[in-house]
Amino acid sequence: MEKLLVFVEAKGDEPRKATIELLSETRNLSDAGSFAVTAVGLGKISEHAIEKVLGYADRFVRITDGLLDDYTPEGYSEALAAYARQEDVRLVLGAATQAARDFLPRTAVLLGAGIASDVTAIGWADDPMTFVRPMYGGRVPSRCTFTGYPAVVSVRPNAFAVAPAGARRGEYVEWRAGVSPDRIKTRVLRVERESKGKIDLMEADSIVTGGRGMKAAENFALLEELAAALGGAVGASRSVVDAKWRDQDDQVGKSGKTVSPKLYIAAGLSGAIHHVMGMDTSGVILAINKDPNAIIFNYADYGIVGDVMEVVPAMTAELKKRTGR
Amino acid sequence: MTIVVLAKQVPDPEALVEVRAGGTELQIEQKFATNLFDEYAIEEALRIKEKHGGKVTIITLGGPKATELLRTALAMGADDVLLLEDPAFLEGDGYATALTLSKAVATQGADLVLCGRQAIDDDRGEVGPMVAEFLGLPHVGAVMKLDIGDGAARAERAVEGGREVVEVTLPAVITAAKGLNEPRVPQVMGVMKAMRAQIPRTSPADLGLAPSDIGKAGSKLKIERYFTREKRAAVKFIEGTPDEQAAEAIRILADVERVV
Ligand SMILES: Cc1cc2nc3c(=O)[nH]c(=O)nc-3n(C[C@H](O)[C@H](O)[C@H](O)COP(=O)(O)OP(=O)(O)OC[C@H]3O[C@@H](n4cnc5c(N)ncnc54)[C@H](O)[C@@H]3O)c2cc1C
Ligand SMILES: Cc1cc2nc3c(=O)[nH]c(=O)nc-3n(C[C@H](O)[C@H](O)[C@H](O)COP(=O)(O)OP(=O)(O)OC[C@H]3O[C@@H](n4cnc5c(N)ncnc54)[C@H](O)[C@@H]3O)c2cc1C
Repeated sequence: MEKLLVFVEAKGDEPRKATIELLSETRNLSDAGSFAVTAVGLGKISEHAIEKVLGYADRFVRITDGLLDDYTPEGYSEALAAYARQEDVRLVLGAATQAARDFLPRTAVLLGAGIASDVTAIGWADDPMTFVRPMYGGRVPSRCTFTGYPAVVSVRPNAFAVAPAGARRGEYVEWRAGVSPDRIKTRVLRVERESKGKIDLMEADSIVTGGRGMKAAENFALLEELAAALGGAVGASRSVVDAKWRDQDDQVGKSGKTVSPKLYIAAGLSGAIHHVMGMDTSGVILAINKDPNAIIFNYADYGIVGDVMEVVPAMTAELKKRTGR
Repeated sequence: MTIVVLAKQVPDPEALVEVRAGGTELQIEQKFATNLFDEYAIEEALRIKEKHGGKVTIITLGGPKATELLRTALAMGADDVLLLEDPAFLEGDGYATALTLSKAVATQGADLVLCGRQAIDDDRGEVGPMVAEFLGLPHVGAVMKLDIGDGAARAERAVEGGREVVEVTLPAVITAAKGLNEPRVPQVMGVMKAMRAQIPRTSPADLGLAPSDIGKAGSKLKIERYFTREKRAAVKFIEGTPDEQAAEAIRILADVERVV
């Protein structure tokens, strides 16, 4: 049977949600007998994360090597390519997180393989297999095929739905990579985390983004409250980031992040094309703007003409009432 | 310090892009700009040169129009430019494009290669890391702050939920993200000089590349079809007082759309 390799990324003790989405999709394929699915974790990875992933994969291979304890693109790409080569896999897959998008292109070169980045849909049963990826800021989806295999694919978070873990439990294996020490030329000196436990924008199911209409940094507390009630994250337009009301990390758009949550709420932002390019593939879009002619309404499913300062807290209150939280 | 910048001309974000011929062709309005992230890369190269001395060479792979990008870079202060122009170079995937660019970089003996985090037309973000791998160099991606030291550089990059400070030995490939700098506007004198400059060109043979290895022929990923995104239905406005609007919005999101 042909093999799929799924790169597992963890955040703290948990496998990333985007990894579980991808594994949920590939588990269907393994259940249907179309592919054998091996999940691969590199370096340190918690028992808990391994346990969780074993509910989705036929095998979990932990690639061990002291040189993989810290993420480096050189180390990760080499280890993953070496294992993929040994196993003669069809596809190397990973959720299109920042880390995966950083090192998977190198893995592709090492394998002499093509890469499709940030795909939003896969036609597994097509011959040859097809991959849909958005181009031009999501305006033009394109359907691609590979001319040969193995091939490398990264999948956009929220492209597949999370399914509960299955009854079958995969086997756990360790594999020693033998990363070449002289290959590693980057060293992480320090990591500064802004806020622990913050939901990552690219993986969030819902995002509440504020624009200049929020008027001041303090007012983002209103959006934080709504996002908390939704279990989502807060985004920002570029004007807001430039005004230093929010961190660069929160910026959605062409020069920021491309997000695709199930629900996107745009609060007090005008809908400039540069912004829209980063959120246009979201599921449901709700815009709140005091100007009935704001461009953002052209990209929204639902619109509220009103003052964010009034509408947003009222939505939070309503949501809390419903969920009893 | 020999610095090479890889920069790409992309359609302006507002250029009309139309899907034609049953999805087999794209018609792109002829409005181009230097890829935003590549402007940061060019600016950073110039600042490093101003501080540490050296030479900045801009390389682009593209059609005849890509000379505009190179002239702008010259006007900003770049020393040298190189255009990889040949029909065989075009329409490559990330692999073929990176292979080609890596051969061009190799001719320069670079201490530092700067490129953009991603091109805004294809949104791949593949080329920087792939060029690095083809050259056997390390890379640091999505860099927001860069300090060049002796034989090494210190780079600050955005990671999910924070930032990471990485030390990398040179030569290395750095991909630029927003926040790295504010690109300068070229001065009139520079523009005049750039207008007259000869743009050197390189062919596949010069780089030792066979046409079958590059561009469309050398691509491992083929585009079968382009689609037009289904447009969202027209916006539905939710009326009433703010409280009524809020209640109705939550009802729709929860009961109709089932997204909360
Ligand atoms: C090269 C380039 C790259 C860019 N990249 C990005 C990017 O990545 N992301 C991005 O977001 N932008 C980006 N921009 C900037 C973009 O073009 C816009 O300038 C920016 O998105 C506007 O931000 P805004 O919507 O917050 O502000 P504005 O355009 O000022 O809009 C504010 C909106 O708030 C509304 N409003 C005001 N008060 C209230 C109130 N009390 N209640 C309700 N509504 C209210 C107003 O009606 C208005 O529509 C980029 C621009 C360039 C040139
Ligand atoms: C079948 C197929 C056909 C294609 N046809 C075309 C086409 O006709 N025209 C087209 O423009 N693209 C075409 N592409 C896309 C082309 O493959 C991309 O330009 C290439 O893969 C680079 O990806 P990217 O542009 O997303 O760059 P990214 O990987 O996102 O770019 C990152 C950085 O790499 C550097 N870089 C990337 N490309 C260049 C370049 N050409 N010159 C200098 N530096 C560069 C820049 O610094 C850039 O910021 C095609 C792709 C496929 C698969």
